[in-house]
Amino acid sequence: MRVLCCLDGTNIEQISTTVSTMLRADNLTLALVYVIDQGPRGEMERQRERFFRSPELKPRHKEQMQKAENATAQDILDEGTRYLSGATLFKREGNPEREIVRLADEWLADLVVLCSRSTISDGPTIGPKSVGHTARFVVDHAPCPVLLVRKQFRALV
Amino acid sequence: MLLFFHIPALTTTLLTVIIAIVTLLGIMIRPYRWNEAIFALSGAALLLIIGLISPVKAFLTLYSDWNIFFFFLGMMSLSALAETAGMFDWLAAQAARLAGGSTRRLFLNTFLLGTMISMVLSNDATALILTPIVYTLVTRLRLPVLPFLFACTFIADTASFLLPVSNPINIIILTRFQLDLWTFLRLLLLPSILVIGMNIGLFFLLYRKQIRGRFDAKRLPSADESIKHAAYFRYTCSVLIIVAIAYITASALQIPLSLVSISGALLLLLGALKWRQITVRGLGGQISWSIFGFIAGMFIVVQAVEGTGLTAQFGQLLLHLSGGSSFGAVMVGTAGAAVGTNIINNLPMAVVLRSSLVGVQHIAPAARLGFIAATMFGCDLGPNLTTVGSLATVLWLLILRRRNLDVSGLDYFKVGILVTPLMLVAGALLIWLLLLL
Repeated sequence: MRVLCCLDGTNIEQISTTVSTMLRADNLTLALVYVIDQGPRGEMERQRERFFRSPELKPRHKEQMQKAENATAQDILDEGTRYLSGATLFKREGNPEREIVRLADEWLADLVVLCSRSTISDGPTIGPKSVGHTARFVVDHAPCPVLLVRKQFRALV
Repeated sequence: MLLFFHIPALTTTLLTVIIAIVTLLGIMIRPYRWNEAIFALSGAALLLIIGLISPVKAFLTLYSDWNIFFFFLGMMSLSALAETAGMFDWLAAQAARLAGGSTRRLFLNTFLLGTMISMVLSNDATALILTPIVYTLVTRLRLPVLPFLFACTFIADTASFLLPVSNPINIIILTRFQLDLWTFLRLLLLPSILVIGMNIGLFFLLYRKQIRGRFDAKRLPSADESIKHAAYFRYTCSVLIIVAIAYITASALQIPLSLVSISGALLLLLGALKWRQITVRGLGGQISWSIFGFIAGMFIVVQAVEGTGLTAQFGQLLLHLSGGSSFGAVMVGTAGAAVGTNIINNLPMAVVLRSSLVGVQHIAPAARLGFIAATMFGCDLGPNLTTVGSLATVLWLLILRRRNLDVSGLDYFKVGILVTPLMLVAGALLIWLLLLL
């Protein structure tokens, strides 16, 4: 079984607990993915246009931002391997939900594991609107079953 | 051409208005993402070719606004040269260091740093230079990016009426309406402090979950890492302190502020050349030259409309709506400017409004002052309502959203629509109260 786990820098404990307690298949092949969200960069480009500048960010800023993004992504994935050793690592750039769906398709994932929303988001953890837009999109579009992980409110039996 | 023929006044008025509206529509919609300057200059060229404004009148219009052009040049050069010295990176690193590992304190420091930069180097510097630097910093610290990005974007405008130099819009308005520094500060300093406080408070409330906890200070870059050349860095710090003092002195003595910004930029350029930190060509590459074409085009188009008497009538309409009272002037001025900036962007709106206010006659001095202060306040703070600059961009984002694409711009819009009206109302009320004193 090929399981794709989607990291956001805050959810590795939740995901690893779920994977190790719920998925007991002998032939489990794990992969971890972290997507560098390009949304904020797009927003900065729009800001530049508001101030009548070309949308393109300055090369120096772009380089600094890319360096920081790549270092952080690597850091998050390395942290992931400490919890789920032996997993294949994927670092992607773009729109997170789209990249996850695309990778699930390319990697022929049998299952996608992700959290319903970031653990530090302001949204509710349970009830209406407790599924964030990334998870919602993946549930809607993934080419395989999706396991949605949320905060554990009671101990696992 | 029409200069050589007798054309009825109604026809010239109609032609001028049509060209002005098409120019503004071009700026708002920007088909094929063409630069705004193309539309502004095309509109101006068309008016000149048809003869709806004479070349002499157009030249005199631009000549009378020389202070604005040079201020823009000086302001952009100062920011670019300060960035070359690593000033912004160093300040951001210091802000993070002073936070002592607390995410909340870093959030507060981001606001304070943005306020300081906007106050001295204008809102452009905060929005365009500080934002990517803060993004890099918080990414390295593994903190949620969006609250910090919002903080930079918002504070750039919220802190842009602390001083006349804090926003080029202020210079555009003040070139026509000579307001001494004392009057400027009397009417706008306290509202500025109030809305900055509100901005910080509301953001702490909105992002309370995302900014809790601590960050690992070991991930911080060392402050020295950002300094490229120690001597040039020290020189830049000294020059910027002198420029800040000179700005205040020049405002108090009503000396054109462009003289300060250009002199400061020249001093920094000399240092940068001496220590081989930049070339003149390199500096030229960092300046947005198209903005001069855009402003020049807009000035000519609005001057042509002013010649038809329409902006004066618009001014009279504003006066009528205000009921001639200082309260009405502040409220109508703020609302009109804030709404207008979100439809056609704040720079064109400021040009239109300053032309309209010239036409406001027979008005009590307090109400007149109210209109001027409210125009600056509304044009400076108004863009935070949509933050993306114009209604056209908001509509475009909404269309993308309907196509099931996630658009972060809409998140900005939601925050803006929630926070900005509160700040506009509170600030306008305070301006009105200060007018009464």
